[in-house]
This record gives sequence, structure tokens and C-alpha cells, in this order.
Amino acid sequence: MRLDAKDVSFSYRDSIVLKGVSLSVRPGEFVGVMGPNGSGKTTFLRCLTGYLTPRSGAVKVDGRPVSSFSPKEVAKFFAVVPQISSTDFPFSAYDIVLMGRIPHAGNRLGGYSRKDVAKVRDAMARTNTTQFAGRTFNALSGGERQRVVIARAIAQEPQALLLDEPTIYLDISGQIEIMDLVKDINRKEGITVIAVLHDVNLAARYCDRIVLLSNGAVKAVGPPAEVLTQETIQEVYGVEVAVRRDPMTNSVYVMPRSVSWKARMHGTGVHLLCGGGSGGPLMKALTDAGYSVTAGVLNVLDSDFESAKDLRIPVVVEAPFSQIGPEAHAENLRMVQESSAVVVSPFPVGPGNFRNLEAARHALEQGKRVFVVVPKEFPSIDFVGGRASEFIKGLISSGAVEVKGPEEAVRCLQGPPGD
Amino acid sequence: MIVLLGILLAGSIFLAVMVGSLGPIGPGDPVKLSFNDAMDALMGGSSYAWVFWDVRIPRVLMAALVGAGLACAGTAMQAIFRNSMADPFVIGVSSGAALGAATAGVIGAGVIMGAYASPIFAFGSALAAVTVVYKLGSVKGKVYVDSLLLSGVAVAAFLGALVSLLIYIARQQYHQLLFWLLGSLALASTDKVLILLAPVLVGAFVVILYGRDLDALLMGEETAHNLGASPEVLKKVILAVAAMMTAAAVAFSGVIGFVGLIVPHITRLVVGSNHRLLVPSATLSGAIFLIWADTLARSIVAPTELPVGIITALCGGPFFLYLLRRNSSERASS
Repeated sequence: MRLDAKDVSFSYRDSIVLKGVSLSVRPGEFVGVMGPNGSGKTTFLRCLTGYLTPRSGAVKVDGRPVSSFSPKEVAKFFAVVPQISSTDFPFSAYDIVLMGRIPHAGNRLGGYSRKDVAKVRDAMARTNTTQFAGRTFNALSGGERQRVVIARAIAQEPQALLLDEPTIYLDISGQIEIMDLVKDINRKEGITVIAVLHDVNLAARYCDRIVLLSNGAVKAVGPPAEVLTQETIQEVYGVEVAVRRDPMTNSVYVMPRSVSWKARMHGTGVHLLCGGGSGGPLMKALTDAGYSVTAGVLNVLDSDFESAKDLRIPVVVEAPFSQIGPEAHAENLRMVQESSAVVVSPFPVGPGNFRNLEAARHALEQGKRVFVVVPKEFPSIDFVGGRASEFIKGLISSGAVEVKGPEEAVRCLQGPPGD
Repeated sequence: MIVLLGILLAGSIFLAVMVGSLGPIGPGDPVKLSFNDAMDALMGGSSYAWVFWDVRIPRVLMAALVGAGLACAGTAMQAIFRNSMADPFVIGVSSGAALGAATAGVIGAGVIMGAYASPIFAFGSALAAVTVVYKLGSVKGKVYVDSLLLSGVAVAAFLGALVSLLIYIARQQYHQLLFWLLGSLALASTDKVLILLAPVLVGAFVVILYGRDLDALLMGEETAHNLGASPEVLKKVILAVAAMMTAAAVAFSGVIGFVGLIVPHITRLVVGSNHRLLVPSATLSGAIFLIWADTLARSIVAPTELPVGIITALCGGPFFLYLLRRNSSERASS
């Protein structure tokens, strides 16, 4: 089944919810519909099923407009799994799944056929819900209920499964269980899936394509890695995030940062000498406190380099696994020059990056405030036979301030100079 | 289940016909009939045949039809409102009918139209009240059950005040009206049974036909739509049918409360919510329940009788409270 939504617009009374949304879904695709609250995701889904009639535009199934089908015919194309299903009336789980056969039941006078019953059995087996058949639906847990509703959807024999935030009320194991089940149905039975999802990481992991809605319009559409970028998410959700790639699944994942950090920006420059992952917490603490942070010298692929990229911190870089060359060193010294204070993280010092310590001495000589982070439990970071430790002691005796960790570094920075 | 209830209904009709001051079951005053005498009378071979054929059988059948209609309409209303506390009267049928009956009494319509004045007035004004409530509860052809419920309550309160006003003005008919307001089957006749047969049978049949769709509606209107049951059409058809059944029952027997509330409720506890089974079961149970409630009403203080509405309310009130308590303790424990 091919689904085409073209220029779908919808408004509730005086508020416009959808402004010309277009989307084509290929048979067997797994499409995620995303966007902030109120961006029109659920309304879009309702326009697809014909529960709402678009004010303009059209939804077509295999070239025929959905509005030209009877409700029963539509129910044979689409099965819908809502956020949550409950009823005050005592239905058994079997009764609920049997409802999936309503669009197939012929004559109103007749009962359900043997075929209907067989389809219900199969659907319950497929979703591992057979053991709940006789139990009251409302007495099941949220995840079990959602599986029963998916069984009902399967019994409906649809060509597309539409889900509206199916995991929003579930805990983490329930979320994975439901999404794995839906993915499996998508792959094995070839049923198209269109799922409104609020969790970016679930969406990134399970969807072939993502449609990102913002204020009722399509902001971006494409594979998760193309849609879920730092810039797009910042623009649509207004939140600063770091986007990484999961080395095991190769899907992208997104980590949000505090929303309010921007408000605290005051622009005082701090240069960070770091490496080997020691700088990440400092970068976060300093930017959260409103400092304009720069960092150096970092080798490309160093985890501090990744952190700096996520936080959009300007970095002096050197090629992977290489010694700090004269150009990078000069650039590093220039950044030291431009900042009002320098923080030295407890980075592992080897022959290749010894120049970062020399940059700290340069800062002291220039009269900059220098803070050296020396953690309480001090790991061995000296890979140059004691020279690094000596050098750091020298820095401290020449006026550098020793701090225990990122919080103290920020506190001391905020204090008056010479404190 | 349905077969069992059918047998029970037949048995109830037979037994209830036997109960009375002229019958094998009863005080035996003025004449105690033996079981054989009663059978003779039923076969028309006795001077007492009229007691059975003109009085008791119409009355028992009327009780069965009214009970069936109210229980069926109650089941349908509970599904439409997705609320097991709804009853056939929530959309203003009873208060509309009461106003009609009171008006008929006050203007003396009976003088011109005879015995059918009151039922005709009651039926007409019940449907008028439902129409008003329906108009208030829908926007552009879409029915909103929440506002329908509120409109029903408001219209019922308003019409109730008008009925009180009429009773106050026409004090001499007070007794007669009160009897009607409390519900009674004392005025049953063969003609009335035949008239009532059509709306009750047709109504129950239609509700059963839509049983699967009512199941889907209980999952919410959007889910009903997604399962191929058109909720707007469904609500209109079921509201119309339930209003017709209720108005017809109320027109002949007055406002018999609680049948339409407790019978669907108890039946649901036994057979579940599947309407293909629930609707016929509740309809038959309603018939059985009202036959026995009426038998009790006419024999408990024989030779006079109580309005049957008092009996049903006496059973229904405490039961309703029990359900309420049970629901809230379930909620507290979950």
C-alpha cells in the first residue's frame, strides 16, 4: 500500500494546526512522526485515518482519496494503536482483540466466523498475549494492554499500522518491548508503520525515516541521521543537544543539555588545556556557568574533541595520535592570550602533548589567572617519568591555583582575582 | 445464556399469572382457586377466564415489555455515554413524558380522547424533550455525549419544575398523577400490550444489530472510528431507538425507575460487556425483573397495591449505592 498525504491542512476553530503537510510513505516503510508538543503530530495521524477531515489537501491510499472509502474500508487499511487504551466496562483481552474483526464481519445479523476466531488466535499468539485471553483488560499492566491492542491491530489485517506515542506511559523495558514487537511486525509481515514518537532516541533507533513537524509544517524529512542534527533539534525544540552515533547499532542518539545555559552567558573567556577525556566535565561546568570556553590542543578523535564539538567550543586541533606541532602550539598560545583565565585539566601527559603544560606556564608569565585541577584521588597522569608532576608543582608554586574539580574551578573563577 | 433466560421468562410469566387474589398462589380471598381451576380458567372453561385473559395476562405481558424496553434502552444509553451510571431517562424522556401526562390531566384531554389521551401526550412530549436535549447536545450534526448529558440534566430539572407547577395548580388530579409519576402497570390492557410490542421488539432488534459497534464505542469514539464503526451514525441511531422504546414504555406505565439502571449493570457483571450477548440478556432480564417487581407490588399489600416504581426504587437505591461503594473501593485499592 502506498500512502500519499498532499498539502494537508487542518484547523480547530481559529487555531491552525496543520499547514500543508505532505508525506509519501512507501510500502513496508517504518516512518516516525516527530515534533514538539502541539506541532500537529496527532492531528496529522487523525487526518490520515479520516477521523478528521482536512480543511484542504488530500490523503490518498494507492491513488484513491481516503475520504472516498467507507469507514469499514478505511479500517482495513489502517489499524491504530493509541497512547493508552482503557474502558470502565469489563471486557476480556479476547473481547478487545475480537474488536479487530469488526471491519471484516459481514452481515450484522451474523456472528463472528471461524476465520475471525482463527485470526484473533493468531494475533494473540503473535504478540504473546494468549495467556491474557480470559483476563479483564483493565487489570493488565500498561505494557500488556498495549500488546493486546497491537494484537487487535494485527487481527484487523491492516496494510499500515498507525501508532500514536504507543510507549509514552510505559517504563523503559515496556518501551523496548513494544517497539521491538512493532519493528518485527514491520519486517516480517511487511506492514507499513507510521508512528508518532516523542522519544528522539527510540525514533532514531527504529525508524527508516523521520518526519519532523514544527508548528504544523514539515521541518525536515529523511533518515534519522539526516533529520536529527544538532542544528535542526536546536531550531525545532529550542534545546541544545549533543548528537552521537551509537558504536554498536550505528544509530544516532541525542543527549539534551539544560535549557537555561544560554541565559547565563556573560562571555568571559576561559581557555582550557585538556585531553584524554579529562576536559569534558570542565567544558560542561564552565559553559553552564556562562563562560566562553576555548580548548586546546586536542587530537582529532580525542573524546574531549567530541565533547567540544557537542558544546560548540572552539578548539585548537592536531592530527590524530600526533605530537603537538609548532603551528598548533602557536595557535594555542594565541587563544591563551585572548582569554582572561586558563584552566588546566588533569590530562594524561606524554611526550606528544607536553606543550600543553608549557602553554600553562606561558599563561602565568602573561599574568593570566591559572587554575590547575588536581583531583582528590589523583590518578597517574604522568607518562614522562615524573617530569609532568614536577612541572605542575612548579606551576602551583609560581602562582597557579590548585582546585579539586570542576565545581571548585568555577567557584574560584567567579571569586575576585588573587583570592 | 439467552436460552436459559428465555425459559426463565416463560416460567416467570406463567407463575406471575398464577399469583393474585383469584389464583392458586395468593391469599385465596374472596375465592381460592386450585391449580387445576386456574388451568381450566386459562383454557377458557371457567367463569374466571376473564380474570386471567383480560386482567392478569395483559398486566404480566405489559410488565415484561416495559421491563425489556427499559433494560434494553438502559444498556444502550450506558454504552453511548460510556458510563455505567447512565439510564434510559438521562436524555429527558421521563420528565418530558411526565409533563405531557400532567398537561393531559390538567386540560382534561381525556374527555375528548379517552383513555389514550395521557399516553399520547406523554409519548409526544417525551420525544419533544429528547429532541431539545439532542439539539442542545450536538453541534453541526456531531453529538457530544458530555454536553448531551448536561443538557439532559438541565432540561429534566426545568421540566420537573413545570410538572410540579401543574400539580400545584391542579390539586384534584394530584393522586392520579402521583400514581403515574411513581410508575404503575395497573392500567394494562391487551390493546396496550399490542401497541407496546412493536417499539420494544424493533428497538431491541436494532440495538442487538449494532452490538459490535457498541463494543467498539466503549473504547472511545476515535477507536470506534478506527475499527470501522461510524460513531456519529451509531450514536444517532441508538439514541433514537432508545428514546422511542423508553417513551413508549413510559407513556403506558409511568416513570418506573432503576430498571434501566440496575438490570444492565447486574447482567454485565454476569455475562460481560460484549453487547451481542449483553443486550439480549439484559432485555430478557429486564422483563423478568419487572414481572416479579410488579407481582410483588400487587400482592404485598393485597387487596390494594403499591406503585411498582416504589418496589424497583426500593431495590434499586441500595443496589446503586452498593455499586458506587464497590467502584470507589476498587479505585482506592488499585
